Amino acid sequence: MPATDTVTAARPIVVETRHIVTRLGKQTIHQGVSLSVRQGEIAALIGGSGTGKSVLLKVLCGLLRPADGSARLFDTDIWVTDSETRQMVRQRFGMLFQDGALFSSLTVEQNIAAPLREHTRLSTAACLRLARLKLSMVGLEASAARKMPDELSGGMRKRAALARALALDPELLFLDEPTSGLDPVSARSFDQLLRTLRDNLGLTVLLITHDLDSLLALADQVIVLAQGKVLGSGTLPEIQQLQDPWLKAYFSSHPASHTPPTSTPEDTHGQ
Amino acid sequence: MTPAQLHLDLDNKLATASGSWRLIQLDKIETAAPNATEANPSSPVVLDGGQIDNLDPSGAYCLISRLAARGIAPEAVQTAGFSSQHQAIFDLVREHYPASLRQNETPLWQRGRALLRRLQQVERFMLESVRLIGVLGTETAQLLRHPGRFRYREFTNQIEAVFVSAIPLIALMMFLLGIVFAYLLGHQAIQYGANIFVVDGTTLAVCRELSPVLVAILVAGRSGSAITAQIGTMKFDEELDALRVMGLSPYQVLIIPRILALVCTLPLLVFVGDITGILGSMLVASRQLGIQPAEFITRMMSELDLPTVIIGLSKAPIFALFIGLIASEGGLHVEHSARSIGASTTVTVVRSIVAVIGINALIAITLVRLDI
Repeated sequence: MPATDTVTAARPIVVETRHIVTRLGKQTIHQGVSLSVRQGEIAALIGGSGTGKSVLLKVLCGLLRPADGSARLFDTDIWVTDSETRQMVRQRFGMLFQDGALFSSLTVEQNIAAPLREHTRLSTAACLRLARLKLSMVGLEASAARKMPDELSGGMRKRAALARALALDPELLFLDEPTSGLDPVSARSFDQLLRTLRDNLGLTVLLITHDLDSLLALADQVIVLAQGKVLGSGTLPEIQQLQDPWLKAYFSSHPASHTPPTSTPEDTHGQ
Repeated sequence: MTPAQLHLDLDNKLATASGSWRLIQLDKIETAAPNATEANPSSPVVLDGGQIDNLDPSGAYCLISRLAARGIAPEAVQTAGFSSQHQAIFDLVREHYPASLRQNETPLWQRGRALLRRLQQVERFMLESVRLIGVLGTETAQLLRHPGRFRYREFTNQIEAVFVSAIPLIALMMFLLGIVFAYLLGHQAIQYGANIFVVDGTTLAVCRELSPVLVAILVAGRSGSAITAQIGTMKFDEELDALRVMGLSPYQVLIIPRILALVCTLPLLVFVGDITGILGSMLVASRQLGIQPAEFITRMMSELDLPTVIIGLSKAPIFALFIGLIASEGGLHVEHSARSIGASTTVTVVRSIVAVIGINALIAITLVRLDI
């Protein structure tokens, strides 16, 4: 559902960073990263390994304080505001970690009920019901709900982790390599799922990906990180016009990327 | 923000929802079963959502649950007046509503499942142990036929890890134990002037029971856990499978050298424990009871006979064998999660200690019956 430009331009900006500088020890990761994501948009962050994509996500979700610059979510600078406001903002976004990061001592449904039990006044039974609703929404069978995370396959773990990220009905989702480690069929059906959820729930999504197929299937906006800066951002055709050796190599690794994203074959696997 | 409200007009089959239906504003979701006497579920009810300000999936769920509690099935709801965004959310939630209805487990059911799981674990442990003993038997027989395949390097490395680096710990622990034991015994004996019997008591107890059991427990905690963690990590990283693919047997390469190193060196460690335990009590005897070391040794030579020492030392290989088997089984048992390495290691230590104490009791009773 790529919205027309006039509509997107009118939508509020949900994620905005200005001149983010981060250092880990003596190493400078970002030297002024500025980007913005509008509501309802799926933005993909790409770049070679070591360009600080995951670090940027950490800055945005409040795990790592930047040395300079501002990171605004829902018009609140999360690194300037007081801890109470930050806690409020935290409940408005969900994060999917690369390997799921499900709590290994809880069953799947308890994992998803955990944020609900912490942050709502609902009874345990109601939390578990909502957890199972979310599990069903991400396409997991009811039998998975009572399993322990280590009994699930990689694809199911990602889905369960997505259900947990969606537990508090966030407006914004951060995804760290959602399709890494999945087979192509599972990866495409995960893309499809993200798209369905975005279309139905009006989510804003910022995702890191190496997967060109995901990029083609999902991204409204592509943001390229290189040498600690944003090399460019825009729609996929715009990004493909950029003259950069890494980008050239990246896009030439996939034959389908030479055609516009709308003509890629639709994924028929669904759930 | 206006609160979420649902107005039902059952006579006209009309429901009106208004206000803000969002997770953060919810404090109750109807989980009760529908009341059968109320509205006929099959006849459609029109739900007017035109006045809904906000709707998120949990809010939609709450709305559907409330209707369901009044006997209106989700599929019997006809929506009207929803904004397109709210309609999409409502439809998505309605589609997945049935999946959420599975009964929550009652505590009794949970306990039952936990018990069943525990029983399955015991069953699996026993089967795996029998299998491991069988496999180790055949692998050892193969090694005996082809002694050249034995991993001497691994064996000596394990001797260093299990024995040489454990000596200071064992020596210190048994020395302290000898001191405490002799002190407490002497404290009683001195009241009856039975000072010299402290020598009998401490040397017999240390050589026959204390040193074998405590050293075995220390080794179970120190080396048994290490073996489980090493083999478990290798299993987790598929190193064991890599060995098999290369045509090597993980049992011959990793497990047999470890068990053999334990069996060979535990008696030596027990002997170290005997000596330092006796030295500890000798120190207390000379300070507290006025028994000089020479007198202590003379008395010990006449009272501590060789069979007692040998019984103590010969218990050690039996303990070592069990520790080795339990530790290897724990390592091979590790599943595909880092968490299970930790769990297996804990289980190994507990099982080994229980095994050591149990076997020791069995041997003690047998020996008493045999009058040894």
